[in-house]
Amino acid sequence: MSNPQHMAPSGDEERVIELHLPSRLGYEKVAMDTASAMAKRMGFSHDRVESLRTAVSEAVTNAIEHGNQHDSAMKVVVVFTGSDDGLIVDVADQGRKLLDHTITERTPDIHQVLHSDDKGGWGIWLIKELMDEVQFSVAPSGGNKLRMVIHLDR
Amino acid sequence: MIDDELKVTTRQRDGIWIIDLEGDVTTFAEEAITGAYEGVTKEGAKYIIINSRQSDYINSAGIAILIGVVTEVNRQAQKLAISGLSPHFQKIFRMVGLAQYADIFATEEEAIAAMQRHQQAAVESAQ
Repeated sequence: MSNPQHMAPSGDEERVIELHLPSRLGYEKVAMDTASAMAKRMGFSHDRVESLRTAVSEAVTNAIEHGNQHDSAMKVVVVFTGSDDGLIVDVADQGRKLLDHTITERTPDIHQVLHSDDKGGWGIWLIKELMDEVQFSVAPSGGNKLRMVIHLDR
Repeated sequence: MIDDELKVTTRQRDGIWIIDLEGDVTTFAEEAITGAYEGVTKEGAKYIIINSRQSDYINSAGIAILIGVVTEVNRQAQKLAISGLSPHFQKIFRMVGLAQYADIFATEEEAIAAMQRHQQAAVESAQ
């Protein structure tokens, strides 16, 4: 797997879009729509755009619900960076609650989930399944940062 | 503008109960979907189709709600099918493993036909 840090943007600032979203569920749809508008213009297929929409919605929802704990005073920052190779999406929260990194390695099993009270836990797994590269780190704000990369097929 | 809107309605067709979903299937959908499922179960539903109409946003919280329905369907020995999903969400539902517990069809008509076959097989095995 290549390091997404190496997929540098081409220096064209018009290919960087930054959103500052309120920590309120529903605003993830603004990020989804921005992602799909950008990906369509870059030439991604319909199937890949749909995968990106789902991955972005899960990342932003996680940031709202878990990272920022629905605190309306906190923002979720989403940065889309287009390059000739693909699209990098960074999602950062302000870290009221830091991510438990064991969650990032978990593969949920529907047989177990059916017998559990908690039916959730699919979000991060879906992001990893749908995107080409995913990295978890600490944002400059001290919160959680998730970077996902989707490559253009050439 | 930002709020999720989901319209959930139920209807019966040839002895099969259909729960129609129109809109976003997210965490806000739990009460409406669970309520509709409980409603048709009270009516004695054995064959249930969850039919997605124009739901182009289903997230992991929505998937968790549907897994909750599957859990109850198994307990109640009902048969569940899901129809009307876009190819993307059909793929997601298969990835998650929901297809092991609920047959997934592109259209309501295909789901109805499959449920009728299950009904017929149940009648024949009871004879």
